[in-house]
Amino acid sequence: MSAIAIAKREVRAYFSSPTAYVVLLAWVYVTGLSFYLLMSFSASQDSVGGSDNPLTLFFGGTVLFWLPVLVFAPVMTMRLFAQERATGTLEPLLTAPVGEWAITTGKFLAAMFFWIALWIPSLFYVWIVTRYGSIDAGAVAASYLGIFGIGLFYMSWGMLMSALAPTQIVAAILCFLVHGLFFVAGIGQFVYQGEGREILSYVSVWTHMSDFARGIVDTRYLVFQVTMSALAFVLTTQVLAFRRLRG
Amino acid sequence: MPDRERVLGGMMVSLRGERDALTPRVLSVEHLTKRYGPRHAVDNLSFEVGEGEIVGFLGPNGAGKTTTLRMITGFLAPSSGAVQVRGIDAIAKPKEARQHIGYMPEGVPLYPEMRVYEYLRYRGELKGIPKREREDALDRALAQAGVEDAVERIIGHLSKGYRQRVGLADALLADPPLLILDEPTSGLDPNQIRGIRELIRGFAGKKTVFVSTHILPEVEATCERVVILNQGRLVGEGGIEELRASAGQEVGFVASGDRDALQEALIEAGLRDVDVFVDGEVLRGRAKGEGVVSEKVFAAAGNAGAKLRELKPGSLEEVFAGLTQVGPDWRDDKKKRRKGRATRGEQE
Repeated sequence: MSAIAIAKREVRAYFSSPTAYVVLLAWVYVTGLSFYLLMSFSASQDSVGGSDNPLTLFFGGTVLFWLPVLVFAPVMTMRLFAQERATGTLEPLLTAPVGEWAITTGKFLAAMFFWIALWIPSLFYVWIVTRYGSIDAGAVAASYLGIFGIGLFYMSWGMLMSALAPTQIVAAILCFLVHGLFFVAGIGQFVYQGEGREILSYVSVWTHMSDFARGIVDTRYLVFQVTMSALAFVLTTQVLAFRRLRG
Repeated sequence: MPDRERVLGGMMVSLRGERDALTPRVLSVEHLTKRYGPRHAVDNLSFEVGEGEIVGFLGPNGAGKTTTLRMITGFLAPSSGAVQVRGIDAIAKPKEARQHIGYMPEGVPLYPEMRVYEYLRYRGELKGIPKREREDALDRALAQAGVEDAVERIIGHLSKGYRQRVGLADALLADPPLLILDEPTSGLDPNQIRGIRELIRGFAGKKTVFVSTHILPEVEATCERVVILNQGRLVGEGGIEELRASAGQEVGFVASGDRDALQEALIEAGLRDVDVFVDGEVLRGRAKGEGVVSEKVFAAAGNAGAKLRELKPGSLEEVFAGLTQVGPDWRDDKKKRRKGRATRGEQE
């Protein structure tokens, strides 16, 4: 109940700040450009089929997907706790009769709301493709499932970094480091040939997304994403409790 | 000032005994300590607040008032010690204890983008006020805090005085028995200060209020009892009237005549801690005693053939200064008092 109240306030605050609209506009611009590039690439090919269709490429097949995600995800989560700490509003929040779990849940729900809002415009691209060709509905559904899973992972870790960091900028940088670390580790599977390569491919968000985008729903990836976000979730509540001790 | 401390110390015990018999405790703090490394921000602090009391929490800036209030409200965990709110252990069951507290933190942090009613509605939801009671609670809190005319306004556009009132409305929202207000009048103009003070005074008998301040007149104007903190330690506790009476047992004066004769006459009159010194053309001094000290000083001056020019009973400010300053010197008091008056002027 209080979690819902916290989430609602967070979402309202976000959308009453210009940041939300700048982020959304920039996001639509960047992803729109990437969609345009992939469409014109596909149009220039003699035969387009199988997993090389523009939607599969759009949802994680190329770096055009990851660049904006890696830049925008930290920007969306950086404010969650860091801003409340900077303005002092964390004090009335933490002294209300609400537990750490409710606060963390509320913040996380709000972050997931932003993440989902970010992907709503992409439905328009799906619609465009259906106008000029056929789509694999299953693969599109799997893509959105993958995006939801990545969202759980990215938003929860971003929230943790925002709880840890003293300012929003530091939160964004820490968050970028975490996301970047997993991303680079994932890329590592292509260069690293020794033992443990399996692990690298398991944590590779790129592998996750390109599989999902091709319509492959691998539950191991979902388990990874849910586990990682549960971990970040628990750690965030611990950070909040620890901050009471340290002051 | 060992004597003053002894007087207050004795009073502390007697008052506590009396209160326990009369009213149940709403807030009780026992051996509360907060350490930051080797530094003690709050050091073994114990006091109690009874139901319906308005108690001032007085101390100079940096004495540890905010740290104490944050430990009571659960924003900070103490290094050791116990806090009980209406008998609930606030450290073991913070969520439950917080349900009985309306807290207005220092500086009143609010969300600037929200409208007043949006904010209070959100806080009501957060505090678990049932939906059907929420609007009534909101109206009542708005009326009590005097912000009815600003409900539609955006918090970021409000004046500081109104923001404080919104913070107060938030503290009152769930109708808690205990209000904890941290420097509620800081940064306000004289009219706003008067408004907030009247509000607090209006809670007398209805709510238990524990209000921190570093401004003495504030306590004199609003509180029945005071807890005085200095460098994290409890240095005094007692009723305002008792404090004032104990302050009245000390008299400062300005006279002309023979220093030694005056000193002797004062001691003969049965006064203690007599101190007379030459300051240019006049004599300045002070003396303590029982009963109406000023009359005794007047009579003694006559006996010594000295002419009194000024006679000033001790003030609460001097008690406060004596308790919160390390090694206060009477000879500086004139300056201090002048400074004190200046701050009082600013605040009123």
